[in-house]
Amino acid sequence: MNVEIVIVGSGVAAAAVADRILKSKPTTSILVLEAGGKVKMKDFSIYQNYVATGGLPYNEYYDEAPPTRGCKGENRFTGNTEMSLQGSRLMMYGGSTVHWDGYSFRFKPEDFHLYTNTGHGIDWPFSYDHIEPYYGEAEGFLGVSGDSNDPSVPRSTGYPFIPFPYSLEDTLAIEAFDSLGLEYSHLPIARHGITDTTSPTAPCQTTGTCLYCPFGARYNAANTLDDMQTLESYPNLSVRTNAVVEKVIMDSKSRAKGVLYLDKNTGEYVTVEAQTVVIASGTVESPKLLLRSVSSFWENGIGNDHDLVGRNIITHPWITFETTLDRNPLHLQPEMAFPTLVSRHYDSEEEQANGKYVLINPPSTPVINLAQAMQDGKTRKEIDEMVSGKTTIQFNAMFEIFSHHDYQVTNLNRISHLGMIESLLNFNVNPTITNQMKAVEATATEVFKAMGATGPVTTDASWGAHHATCTTRMSDSPELGVVDANLKIHGVDNVYVCSNASFSTLSAVNPTLTLVALSLRLGDRLIGGQ
Amino acid sequence: MIANTSHKSKYDMEALHHPYPYQEELPTQQTMDAMWRLFLAIGEFWEIDADIEAMSSNLVVFMSNRIQVNPTYVAEYANAEEVIDELISELGEAEAYKKLFTDPSANISPPTTKLARARQLVSNEFVALQLALGGFKTFGGAKNYLGYISGANIEGDTPYRTYTKEPK
Repeated sequence: MNVEIVIVGSGVAAAAVADRILKSKPTTSILVLEAGGKVKMKDFSIYQNYVATGGLPYNEYYDEAPPTRGCKGENRFTGNTEMSLQGSRLMMYGGSTVHWDGYSFRFKPEDFHLYTNTGHGIDWPFSYDHIEPYYGEAEGFLGVSGDSNDPSVPRSTGYPFIPFPYSLEDTLAIEAFDSLGLEYSHLPIARHGITDTTSPTAPCQTTGTCLYCPFGARYNAANTLDDMQTLESYPNLSVRTNAVVEKVIMDSKSRAKGVLYLDKNTGEYVTVEAQTVVIASGTVESPKLLLRSVSSFWENGIGNDHDLVGRNIITHPWITFETTLDRNPLHLQPEMAFPTLVSRHYDSEEEQANGKYVLINPPSTPVINLAQAMQDGKTRKEIDEMVSGKTTIQFNAMFEIFSHHDYQVTNLNRISHLGMIESLLNFNVNPTITNQMKAVEATATEVFKAMGATGPVTTDASWGAHHATCTTRMSDSPELGVVDANLKIHGVDNVYVCSNASFSTLSAVNPTLTLVALSLRLGDRLIGGQ
Repeated sequence: MIANTSHKSKYDMEALHHPYPYQEELPTQQTMDAMWRLFLAIGEFWEIDADIEAMSSNLVVFMSNRIQVNPTYVAEYANAEEVIDELISELGEAEAYKKLFTDPSANISPPTTKLARARQLVSNEFVALQLALGGFKTFGGAKNYLGYISGANIEGDTPYRTYTKEPK
C-alpha cells in the first residue's frame, strides 16, 4: 500500500490535520490508522441507554486497571504516585474527544517562555503571537462557545459562539469570589452554538449528557471523521480501525519509508509506504512507537539519540475539594454536565513560578442526584428535604506541574486487551508539587468559607494522564527536545509528532485547543509540501 | 488511491451495540399496557408535577430503543408485568407499587430475583426517563436536568437557570 500521508491515531489531531489538508487538496491520499474500534455516534437508542443506566458504549476502549493479586490488569507504574491511564484516554475512532469535557482554554503568552521566566522546563520555540491566529482557527474548528470580551488572554478574533451564561449554581461561587477579590470568567467550551451558516453540526441542546451527545454538538473527532468520509468528496481518504502500528520503518537516518501495522481483523501485518508519517497517537503511545522503531539508523529508537523520547511526562492533577452547606435555599442542583465558571490563578509572568492553577465550579455541585434518590426508594418528603436542606458542595482544580527527566513512559513487554503494547510509567509527587497542592487547597478553603460552608474540607486528588504532555517535547535543539518548531523529529525529514506529546510545557489548563492549533498549523505546512 | 484490500463477510460486520437488524416487534399490547400503568404509578407515588399523559409515546419509543440495544428487554418487560401482577394480587395495587419502588432488597445489585430485575431493569429506568422528560421540575423548580432536551443557548432565553447579579 502506498499513500502520500499516513496518520497514526484517529483523535482530534488526526482529524484536524487531515481536514486542513483535504480542504485545500481534496485528492491527497491520506490513510488514518486506529488501533481501537468504532462506536456509533449520535444514536438515540445508545443515548437513551446512557440516560437510563449511565452506561457508556465505549468503555471497552479504556485501559484496564493495573494488575492486582488475582487480576491480570494492564500497565505498570513506578515512582511514588500512579499516573493512572485507566479512564484517562480512549483508544478508539475519534480518540479521547469521544469522552472529553470540551474545555477549550488558550495558553497565555508567558506560558511559552516558562524557562526564561522561571527556570523551570524549557521555552517553546515560538511565542504566543505566532500561534495566536491558529488559536482562533482552532476555536472555529472545535466550535467553542466563549466570552470574546474576556480580557485575560489576548485575541485577534472572537469566539464563534456566545458564552454559556453563568448558571444559578455559580451563585455562591461568584459571591465568594467577589467578596475575596478573586477574578473569574466564563469557561470556554467546545459546544456548538446557533449559527446562521450551513453546518453539519447541530447546536448544543443542553441535554447535559455530554459523555454521549445525541446531537454531536459537543466536539467529537469521530463526527469530524464521519463527516469527512460521508459529506465531503475526499476519494483518497481512508480510516482503518483495529490497525495497531508496530513500528515506523526507516529508509535512512533522515527518512522514513512508512509504517508496519497489525490488522487485528485478519491477523496479518501490513506495510504502508508513505511520503509523510504523522504520529498522532497521544502523549503515551507516540513516544512508545518511536522507542520501539529501532533500526541500524536509530539504535535507541527514532529521535532518541539524546534519551528524551518518553521523558518529561507530566499531567494535571484533578482535585476535588468538598465540604457541606447547612441549607440550600435556592434549591441549587445539577442542571447540566458542564461548568460555566472558571477562576485562573498565578496567571501572570510575575507569578507563574508558583505553578499556575485553575478553580472550576463543577456542574455536579451541589451533589444532588434525583434519579438515584428515587431509585433508592426515598419518599417525596425525603427528596424535598434533600433538595432544600444540608448539602454537599464541590470545587475542582488543576495546577501546572513542571517536567522532570525522570518522569517517563516506555514500552512494557505485555499486550493489552486492545492488542497494544502496554505502558510503564514513572512519576513522583515531589515536595514542590505537595506545596503547590497546599496553596490551591488554601484558596479553595477560603472560598468555601466565604460561601458559608460549615463542614470540614476534604481533598481528593487524582493523577490521571488525561492531560499528559511533553514526552516528545518541542525545542529548537535536539539536545533539549525531540521535535522541532514544526513538530518534525529532529534529524528526520518526514516524520512528525502531532500530539500533546510535543508540547514544550503544560500550563494549568486543558491542552486540546492548543493541540488543534498546532495540528492546523502542521496541516498548512504539509499542504505546502514541506 | 488507496486499495480496499479487505472484503468483509457478514460475520465480520461490527455488532457491538446493535447486534441485530432493527426489531419491529414490541412486547405484547398487554405488556405495553402494564408498563404504561407502571409509568403512571411512578408519577403518582412521587407526586410528579408534570403532564405524564403526554409522555406515552416517549415511553413507547424508549422501550423500543431499549429492545434495540438489547433484545432481552422484551423478556424484562414481560417479567416486570408478571411481577407486578403477582404483587397486586397479594398486596393490592398501592402496596404493590410501593414494594416495587422501595423494597431495599430489590435494589441489591446484581439483581438475583425477578422482583429485583423488575425494579432495576424496568422501574428504575422508567424513573430516570420520567425525570428526564420533565418530572425533575417537581423537585426544586430547576429549568434543566441531565437528559432533558432544554434547547439551544439563545441570548435572553438561556435553557437553564442563570445567575443574575444583584444591583449594589
